[in-house]
Amino acid sequence: MSDWRFTARQLVKNPLSLIGLVIIVIFIIIAIFAPLIAPTPAGHLHPYMIPRDGYFAEPQPPSEKHILGTTQGQYDIFYGVVWGTRTAFHVALVVMSITVLIGIVLGSLAGYFGGVLDEVIMRITDIFLAFPALILAMAIVAGIGPSLKSIMIALSVVWWPSYARLIRGDILQVREEDYVEASRGLGASSPRVIIRHVLPNAIYPTLIMASLDIGMVVLSAAGLSFLGLGTPEGYADWGQMTEFARNWMVGPPGDPFKYWYAVITPGLFILFFVLGWNLLGDAFRDIFDPRLARR
Amino acid sequence: MELRSYIIRRLLLLIPVLFGVTLFIFGITMLFSPVQRASLYITDPKQLVDLPTIIQMYGLDKPFFVQYGTWLGQVLRGNLGWSEAGSMPVADAIWHSLPATLELAIFATPLIIFLGIFLGTKAAANKDKPLDHGTRVMAILGWSLPTFWLGLLLMMFFYGFLNWFPPGRLTDQMQILVDSAAFIRYTHINTIDAILNLNGPVLLDALRHLVLPVITLSVTHVAFIMRLMRSSMLESLGKGYVLTARAKGLDERVVVNRHARRNALIPVITVSGYVFAGLASGAVITETIFSYKGIGWWAWQAAVRLDIPSILGFALFSGVLFVFINLVVDILYTRVDPRVRLGGGLQ
Amino acid sequence: MEDLVKIRDLTVRFYTYEGVVHAIDDLDLDIRQGETLGIVGETGSGKTMTALAILRLIPYPGRIESGSIAFFDRSLPDELELLKLSEDRMRSIRGCKISMVFQEPGAALNPVFTIGDQISEVFLLHQRQELGRQAKQRIDSLLGNGSSLSASLRRPFWRWQRRLYNKIAQEPRPFEPRLISHLPFFRRLLWRLKDEAGLLTVNMLKDVEIPDPARVAAHYPHELSGGMKQRAVIAMALACSPELLIADEPTTSLDVTIQAQMLELFRRIKVDKGASVLYITHNLGVAAEICDRVAVMYAGRLCEVAGVEEIFLHPLHPYTKALLDAVPKPGKELQTIPGALADAFNPPPGCRFHPRCLSAMPTCQQERAKLKEVSKDHMVACHLF
Repeated sequence: MSDWRFTARQLVKNPLSLIGLVIIVIFIIIAIFAPLIAPTPAGHLHPYMIPRDGYFAEPQPPSEKHILGTTQGQYDIFYGVVWGTRTAFHVALVVMSITVLIGIVLGSLAGYFGGVLDEVIMRITDIFLAFPALILAMAIVAGIGPSLKSIMIALSVVWWPSYARLIRGDILQVREEDYVEASRGLGASSPRVIIRHVLPNAIYPTLIMASLDIGMVVLSAAGLSFLGLGTPEGYADWGQMTEFARNWMVGPPGDPFKYWYAVITPGLFILFFVLGWNLLGDAFRDIFDPRLARR
Repeated sequence: MELRSYIIRRLLLLIPVLFGVTLFIFGITMLFSPVQRASLYITDPKQLVDLPTIIQMYGLDKPFFVQYGTWLGQVLRGNLGWSEAGSMPVADAIWHSLPATLELAIFATPLIIFLGIFLGTKAAANKDKPLDHGTRVMAILGWSLPTFWLGLLLMMFFYGFLNWFPPGRLTDQMQILVDSAAFIRYTHINTIDAILNLNGPVLLDALRHLVLPVITLSVTHVAFIMRLMRSSMLESLGKGYVLTARAKGLDERVVVNRHARRNALIPVITVSGYVFAGLASGAVITETIFSYKGIGWWAWQAAVRLDIPSILGFALFSGVLFVFINLVVDILYTRVDPRVRLGGGLQ
Repeated sequence: MEDLVKIRDLTVRFYTYEGVVHAIDDLDLDIRQGETLGIVGETGSGKTMTALAILRLIPYPGRIESGSIAFFDRSLPDELELLKLSEDRMRSIRGCKISMVFQEPGAALNPVFTIGDQISEVFLLHQRQELGRQAKQRIDSLLGNGSSLSASLRRPFWRWQRRLYNKIAQEPRPFEPRLISHLPFFRRLLWRLKDEAGLLTVNMLKDVEIPDPARVAAHYPHELSGGMKQRAVIAMALACSPELLIADEPTTSLDVTIQAQMLELFRRIKVDKGASVLYITHNLGVAAEICDRVAVMYAGRLCEVAGVEEIFLHPLHPYTKALLDAVPKPGKELQTIPGALADAFNPPPGCRFHPRCLSAMPTCQQERAKLKEVSKDHMVACHLF
C-alpha cells in the first residue's frame, strides 16, 4: 500500500503534524506507564480516584511531596493529570468505537439501499441533530445520572448522527462507481458488495477523520465533567480537576495568581492532548482534500 | 411567489422533525418516576402534595401516546412544568433567561463573522507564506482550547488581576437601577435597553461585562470560520472567473475582494447562520463560568440539580429554536447564491 | 502587413513539486495587424501558455524566464516591450488593447454577478473618461431643458454632478470622484457612470448577436445557454475594441451547431473590427475555416508557420503532416501518430518530435532545429530543411 507510505511521508514532512504526532505519542506513553509514573499509594483501593492528602480545601503549591501541587480538597495534581490521561483515552476510544460502529451500519444502510430506509434514517438523524450538542448531552446525562458511563453514552448519542451522514455521503459517491456496477453485474450479493467493495473505499478517509475527532470527544467530555455532570468527585479526570480550580481562580487581593498551578495544569493537559490530535487531523485533511494541497 | 411556496414547503417538512423532537424528549421523560413526571405538568409546587389527583388529572397512568398527546397539549399552551431549581415555572425561567443569551449571541456573531472572514481572506491571499502558517496555527490552537479553561484564564487575568471585566451581567448597583421604575425594560437585553433609555452608564457597564464572555465564546468559532473562509477563498481563487477578471485588467485587490470573495462568502455565510443558531440556543459553558444568566446557565443549574422538567424544557426549547433558525438560514441562502434562486431563466 | 506582436526567444518554465516543466522553449512568433493567426497543437504544446504569456498572466508556479514580446500599439508611436512594463501599465493593456476569451464560458463568468455587470466592469475600468463625458453631456441636456419647478430645485445638485463627471472626463486620476468611489455609501453617487456603461454593454451584446440584449444583461450566467454565455464572454473581450483578441479554444465546449455560429461571429468580428485574432485550437478544421495563417506547436516549440492554404496544401514539418493525416477521412483507415506525447518533465533531447517522427535522422536526436524560411512566408523548424 504505497498509499500508506505516501501518507506517512507527508505527515512526517509537515512540521505541524510532526509535532502533533510527537504529542500524541507522549500521551500514549503517559497513559500506558501511568502506574509507574504516578504510582498508586499502598492501601489506596481505586487507582482512578486521586489520593487525597487531607481534607483541607485550599490548594497547596508544588512541593516535594506533590510535584505539581494539590488542588481543592488536597487532591494531588500530578497523579490526577497522569491518570487523567488514561481516562481521556478510555472515554475517547469507547465513544469513537460506538459512534463509528453505529455510523457505519446506519450510514451504509441508508446510503446503499436508499429509498424509504434512507429517508427514515435521515429523519432520525435530523431529529438528533436538531439539538445543540451540549444541551442534548446534558439532558441525557442528567436523565441517566451523572457518571463516566453516562458521559460516554451521552457523547455517543450526540456524535453518531454526524458520522452516519458522513458515511452515507461517502457511500453514495462510491455506489455509482464502475467497479461496484461491475461487481453487481457479476452477481455478487448486496452485503458482499457493500463489505468488500463499497465500504473500504468509501470509509477510508472518514475513518481517518473519525480517529482524529478523538481530540474533540475528549474536549466535550472534559466540558461535561467541568459542569459537574461526569465522574464522581475525586476521579482522575482533567475536566473535573479544572472545575476544582474554579473557586480558586482568583487568589487573595495582592496575590491574584496564587493558585495558578491548580488552574493551569489540568487545562494545559487538555489543551495539548486535543492540540496533538487536531494537528494530525489538520495534516490529514490537507492530504485528502485535493483542492487545498499540491503545488 | 416561488419563495413563499418554498417557505411553506420547508415549514411543512419541519413538522415531522418537530414531532420527532418532541417525541424524543417525551420518551426520555418516561424513564422517570410518576412523581418526577408530575412536575412536568404542574405550575405550583404545592400541588405535588396531592399526587393521585395529578395522576388523575393529567392521565399519567394512561397509555404512552395518550400521555404524549396530553403533554404536547400542555406544551403548546405554554406549560412546561415546574422548576425545582428555579422555583418558578419552567416556561418563565426560559423566558427570563433568553434575553441574556440573545445578548451574547448578538455581540459574538458579528465579531466571529468579521474576524473570521478577514483572517481567512488574508490567509488565502498569502497562501503558504508566514501569515498563512501563523493563522493556521492560531486556528488549530483556537479550536483545541477548552473554552472553560480559556474563560478561567481570562477571568484570572482580567478580573482577578486587573479588575477590568467582572463576571455577571451588571454590577449590583446597576442591576438595582435597571430593575427600578426609572429604567424602562423594552427587550430585557441590557445593552439595547440602555441605548433606548439613553442611559450611558448602564450601557458601559453592560458592555464591560460582555467583553470576556464574548471573547471566550468567539475564539473557537473564529478559528473555524477562518479556516472555512480560507479554503473557500482558495477554491474561489482557483476558478476561471478569477483568471478572466485578471485578464480584464482589474487590480489584484479588486479581483480578490470583489470577484473571489463574493463567491467564497456563500458557504461561510450559511455556516455563520448555524453558528448564530448554536449560540442563541445556549452557550452553556461560557454562561456558567461568567455567571451570565442565560439559557445555558439555567440548563446547567437544572442539570446539576437533576431538575428534570427544566432540563427537558430547555432541551425542547433549544431544539425547536435551533431548527427554526436553521430554516431561516436556509432561506437566506437562497437570497445569497443566485444559482439557488427560485424562479425561471432564459435560454 | 505590419507586425502587431513580435515574440522572440520566449521561454516559460513551471517549477512544480515533481520537477521543472518547459512549457515554452525559445519561441519566435509574429502576429500581424488585422490577421487571424491560428495556433494548432495537442495538449501540452504550449499554445495556451503563449496566450497567457502575452498577457503576463502565467500562473504560479510558472515563470517567464526570458525573451521579449513587442507590442505595436497603433495609437502610440513606439513599440512596447510587454515583459518589461510595470504591472500598472500592463493592467491598462489587459482587457483593453489585448483581451482574451477562454475555453469554458461557464467557468469564465462569475456566477454571482449579472452578465451586464460583468461587461460593464470593463467599460468602467478602461473607458471611465469617455463615460464621464457622456454623463456630463446628459446632465447638460437636463440643465438645458428643465424649466419645471422640480428641475429648478434640483439644478444645484445637477451642477455639482456635472462638475464631478467633468472631472472624471478630463483628468486621468481625479481626486474628488476617487474619494467618493471609495466610500461605501456615497459610491452610489456615481450611478451615472454605471448607467452609461450599461448602455454600451447593451450595444455590445447586440453586436455579438444576442437577442433581447437588455433583458439578457440583467440575467445571471447560469440562466443562459452555453452559446449565449460564450457570446457574452466575447462581448466582454471586445468591449474596448482591442487590437488583439486572443481566443483559447472558444468553441471546444460548445456543440457543433453553435460552433458554426461562433465561427461566423468570429469571421464578422475580423471584418468589422479589424482586430487581430490569435485563435488557439486543436481542431484543424476550425483553423482552416477562419485563420489567415497557422502556426503549429509541439512540446513548447514552434514547428511550422505558414499561410492557411499553404500549410494545408504543402505541409512541410513531419508533425504537421502527421496531424493532417490523422484527421479522420471517410473510407480511409484511421491514421494515428505513433508514440506518446513528450514527457513534460523529461522531454526528448534535440528535436522534441524525433521519437515519433518517421523521417528522423541522427542529428534530430542531438540538435534542435532552427526556424528557417523555406519558401515565401513559410517557416519550418526541421532538420529536413
